[in-house]
Amino acid sequence: MEVSKYVGKSTVRIDGKVKISGAAKFVDDLDFGADLLFAAVVESKYAHAIINSIDTSEAEKFPGVVKVVTGKEFPFRFGLYMHDRYIFAQDRVRFVGEQIAAVIARTPDAAKKAAQLVNVSYTELPNVLNVQDALKNDTFLIHPELGNYQHVPWFFPKPETNISHLRKVRKGDTNKAFKEADFVFEDTYTVPRYAHCAIEVHGTIGLFDNSERLTVWTASQSPYTQRHLFAEALAPLGLTHKDVRVITPFVGGGFGGKAGVSMEIIGAALATTVKGRPVKVLWTRAQEFYNTYQRQGLTCRIKVGVNKDGGIIAMDNTLYWDAGAYVEYGANVVNAAGLSASGPYNIPNVKIDSYCVYTNLPPGGPYRGFGYSEFLFGLESHMNEIAKNLNIDPVEFRRKNAIREGDILNYGGKMNPNGLIEAIDKVAEAIEWGKKEYSDDPNKAIGKGIALFWKAPAMPPNASSSAFLKFNEDASLNIMISGMEIGQGLLTVMAQIAADVLSVSPDKIRVETPDTDRNPYEWQTVASHVTWSCGRAVERAAIDAREQIFDLIERALDKDRTSLYLENECVKSRKEPGFSLPLRDFIINGIMKEDGTFRGGPVIGRGMFMPEFSSALSDPETSQGGKPNVHYTVGASAVKIEVDRQTGKMRIPKAVLAIDVGRALNPNLIKGQITGGLLQGIATVLYEDMRFDEKGKLLNASFSDYKIPTALDIPDEIISIIIETPQPDGPSGARGMGEHTMIPAAPMIANAVEDALGIRIKSMPITAEKIALTMVKEKKIDLINI
Amino acid sequence: MMYKEINFILNGENVNLQVSPDEILLEVLREKLGVKSPKCGCNKGDCGTCTVILNGKTVRSCLVLAIEVDNQEIVTLEGLMGNGLTPLQESFLKNNSFQCGFCAPGIILSATELLGRNSKPEKKEIQEAIAGNLCRCSGYSPIIDAIIDLTN
Amino acid sequence: MSEIQLDYAKPKLLNEALDIISKSINPYILAGGTDLIDMIKEGLVQPDMIIDLKGIEQFHQLSFKNDALFIGAGVTFSELIESKIIKEHFPVISELSRTVASLGIRNRATLVGNICSAVPCMDSGPLLVAYDALIMTVGPKGERSVPAEKWFIGSRKTAIEKGEIVIGISISSPGKHGSCFVKLGRYEGEDLAQVNLIILALKNYIFKVSFGSVAPVPVRAKKIEQLINGKVITTSLIEEACKLIEKEISPITDIRATKEYRMHMAKIMFERGLNAAVSRLNGSGPEYGKNLL
Ligand code: FES
Ligand code: FES
Repeated sequence: MEVSKYVGKSTVRIDGKVKISGAAKFVDDLDFGADLLFAAVVESKYAHAIINSIDTSEAEKFPGVVKVVTGKEFPFRFGLYMHDRYIFAQDRVRFVGEQIAAVIARTPDAAKKAAQLVNVSYTELPNVLNVQDALKNDTFLIHPELGNYQHVPWFFPKPETNISHLRKVRKGDTNKAFKEADFVFEDTYTVPRYAHCAIEVHGTIGLFDNSERLTVWTASQSPYTQRHLFAEALAPLGLTHKDVRVITPFVGGGFGGKAGVSMEIIGAALATTVKGRPVKVLWTRAQEFYNTYQRQGLTCRIKVGVNKDGGIIAMDNTLYWDAGAYVEYGANVVNAAGLSASGPYNIPNVKIDSYCVYTNLPPGGPYRGFGYSEFLFGLESHMNEIAKNLNIDPVEFRRKNAIREGDILNYGGKMNPNGLIEAIDKVAEAIEWGKKEYSDDPNKAIGKGIALFWKAPAMPPNASSSAFLKFNEDASLNIMISGMEIGQGLLTVMAQIAADVLSVSPDKIRVETPDTDRNPYEWQTVASHVTWSCGRAVERAAIDAREQIFDLIERALDKDRTSLYLENECVKSRKEPGFSLPLRDFIINGIMKEDGTFRGGPVIGRGMFMPEFSSALSDPETSQGGKPNVHYTVGASAVKIEVDRQTGKMRIPKAVLAIDVGRALNPNLIKGQITGGLLQGIATVLYEDMRFDEKGKLLNASFSDYKIPTALDIPDEIISIIIETPQPDGPSGARGMGEHTMIPAAPMIANAVEDALGIRIKSMPITAEKIALTMVKEKKIDLINI
Repeated sequence: MMYKEINFILNGENVNLQVSPDEILLEVLREKLGVKSPKCGCNKGDCGTCTVILNGKTVRSCLVLAIEVDNQEIVTLEGLMGNGLTPLQESFLKNNSFQCGFCAPGIILSATELLGRNSKPEKKEIQEAIAGNLCRCSGYSPIIDAIIDLTN
Repeated sequence: MSEIQLDYAKPKLLNEALDIISKSINPYILAGGTDLIDMIKEGLVQPDMIIDLKGIEQFHQLSFKNDALFIGAGVTFSELIESKIIKEHFPVISELSRTVASLGIRNRATLVGNICSAVPCMDSGPLLVAYDALIMTVGPKGERSVPAEKWFIGSRKTAIEKGEIVIGISISSPGKHGSCFVKLGRYEGEDLAQVNLIILALKNYIFKVSFGSVAPVPVRAKKIEQLINGKVITTSLIEEACKLIEKEISPITDIRATKEYRMHMAKIMFERGLNAAVSRLNGSGPEYGKNLL
């Protein structure tokens, strides 16, 4: 294999300058001219109610209003994995803030004011606001028609209940194993809902022009999925895929929140009602909180059987997911987490039940970590408790049980090559595991915690990526993909991959953000899979172009094809050291023969990747049989905290994260993911969470009360450790790692709190308040007066 | 709505405009003047993406009335770059400081203000200066490091 | 729906401002605007006239004369942080100002604006109460100076009268003193106080203690002051004082914190703040601006 010149280097981002200069255009920065219309939605006041009537007459009269649209105009169900939602509520609303109607007006202000004049008459229904209530026998059904909903074959809804999907895993014989185990440890852990909080809100502009073609500009991670869902949902209007075009400029952060289709469908649908005029829907920060996907809440009951020597022999993990009012995307989180909820451990007997439960809260959906952060909180907290009870060092306990290459996964397949043990060892060393430290401040205690993590991309077995690559006259090139740059550095890494194949430096490569008319298909930018999948497509496109170049040289110049290679933008030959033909001399205009005719023409590469070995078909009762996961990325993380016994406040002097990325295509960008992801994870455990009142209304729909970290809230030091055990099918051996950096944060901090203070907190978040009040309750502090 | 005429300097140029008293500076910059680097991340003073420099100090343009800047001077990111990227921006570029880049205009202005006041800030001062600019992607360290790099 | 015609004026003279106010139906004063503009956007207030005070020169005055500090209504928190006068004579004002919101807000927001909005979690309220500050107003009936304790009437309610403008705040120096402002937030970044507290330690061990965000208005903890005044601070004295905290304040549970945690923290903050104020009086103690929590 040739040594790579660009892959593996910490190249400066090729989109660095456009972002740093302010030139980068986000969806709300695009101009649409004077006929742009604005829409404001009418939202449900109730968590659960029947809509009796909608009176739009007052709103229609409001100056500046062009049109008022209600669900009547779009009576179709749609969704990503399950068709359980509507563009606008039909006869029933299922969460506070659900869109019922929209007012289209000439100014945002008129739309907003007129929306307040739409009069909706409701009959309230009983609210089902948590999984406990939703699972009661006499509960109220949130989706009475669940049995009729169309869904992917790997979902198993339970009609006449609020269970929209149940993923069951049965491996080995847990009953027997629990009987044989020396010890059984059981506990319950809870995780609330969380918000993505990308700093850019969701926004969309739809234009249904007079030729009846629909163009939708979105802030999205999934332009092709959006096009597909728009075309599908609006098919009754006669639209086909070719009539729908989605353009996605730069996106101001995604984290899963801009995956799939959420509010964008409103822009697409409304456009069809005001033919010829663009219409814009821009979420407010508050709507961003209560009417986009939220990270689902989780209650998990975990039971683990171990032997005296510390070997885990059985696990029974029951996960109840508060999936919200619509689960068209969220049910797949439940599914993915269910398949992997044993964590990165080699456990011979496993039983997992992962319940996707409808509630009258906003729809759950994808969030960086895709369910893994949630179950790992309980699992990795529990592992520490077990180790403590067995009097085994928590690192040793994990090392002993950690999954290794070739071990059998929950669904029967084999674990891919991985450096989990190396990660554990390196993290333990970096955090100085075993060295007890003491604070200079008598009020404070120092604790250390560790957590392992793993995660596989959750994707349909046929999720694919494709790429076009076209040369320009000067041998610079443009790559067209529909993988989305959402901050992770995709454009740069794709350029690096092509650069190596074509010997053109990344700064001569422009990678275009998606326009479904021009850029080829990509399933979605989610699941930490685009480096791997889109990377392979780009690699193949580059190879395709290179082969065309070699074909041409052979054909036009009669060179031995097998000895040709590319170097510094020139074609060279191993046989003829003197031969060096710059790409720019022929890459567009071809090579002239003696008779003045030309051979060749513009070189355009194409590449595609689909994981043809993946399958979602398996036994619904056991999950045995398929190969739903293409690979797992694993790692370990540890933290040192200094916590104030009295106030519960915490500082993080050091955090370490080691991850096996297969091959680090750009180490600096990986470090960026670690730094950002860890902080996002740390925030979920220390202060973030969504709070609802007893009517299902979100109480903290703003940054004033949903606190996300500032520059003052970072760990003092973060140590990033990159491990490289190549992924055989990845580009240069790489696998995904973007989500993984946030998922170990919660349990490692919970474990560090336990280490420092001797208290085990089993519900997230672990706020200063919760720590202090637990200390008081457990009489761990002698406080003035308490 | 009654309109009033305002005059101000925007990125070194004189601007003359009719505004109504309730118009917000951020919207006027973006929608009437086409200056798009200030963004609207929250519209209520919490996120800092709308940061502009008003008479030498950073302010939240979502909490400033356009009419207030009559006879004042505004600088946005567009106005910082007379001759290409500033050394601060170069340092951000070199450090791959930003990911999605949505927060970048605001943070660059906040850091510019800080460096104008103090050419060798301590880490803590840097953190305080940009604490009002939320960034969900970077974890802040690559941003802070780039500022420290520049001042060394 | 009747749209209110909004007008704006930026007078150069105080009298002009008063005149405009008297002629308007629902005038609002704009200084930093950080609160007002948000309320206008939310539709919480519907002024017909906004009077921008930034054009009136005397409002920008920040001075220390005859042992009295004057903070004009247009003085921003950033100006307070940067002021030499404040640093030298009232370092706790700078300590407090640094905890208010974030820089981009502090560059506009004013201390007077803070106490005119008078939300229970404001930071400046306890400061003024502890220093027995006077709030100077002028209105149709002439000038008034209202003692801070009488200024705060309820949540978002002050003693301001119709047609009045606050000119500024006057604080008499209590002489050489140590002081400490402690604020409880959910994290290091900007937050609205869940509890805040200011303690002044004057010579001869005379103390002033005021809590904020634990009642609709700032609480001057007189019982505690009585207990500790003139005494050497010991652990048992602090314990006794902490018992009184339960009598002095009445925190509530809201989205930001429970009343139990607020009460718990109020005691810890009191202990730490008191120790810091005393040691600062004696020339040692933590630097101003150091977070004690
Ligand atoms: S948009 Fe102004 S601070 Fe967020
Ligand atoms: S880089 Fe995305 S918000 Fe800062």
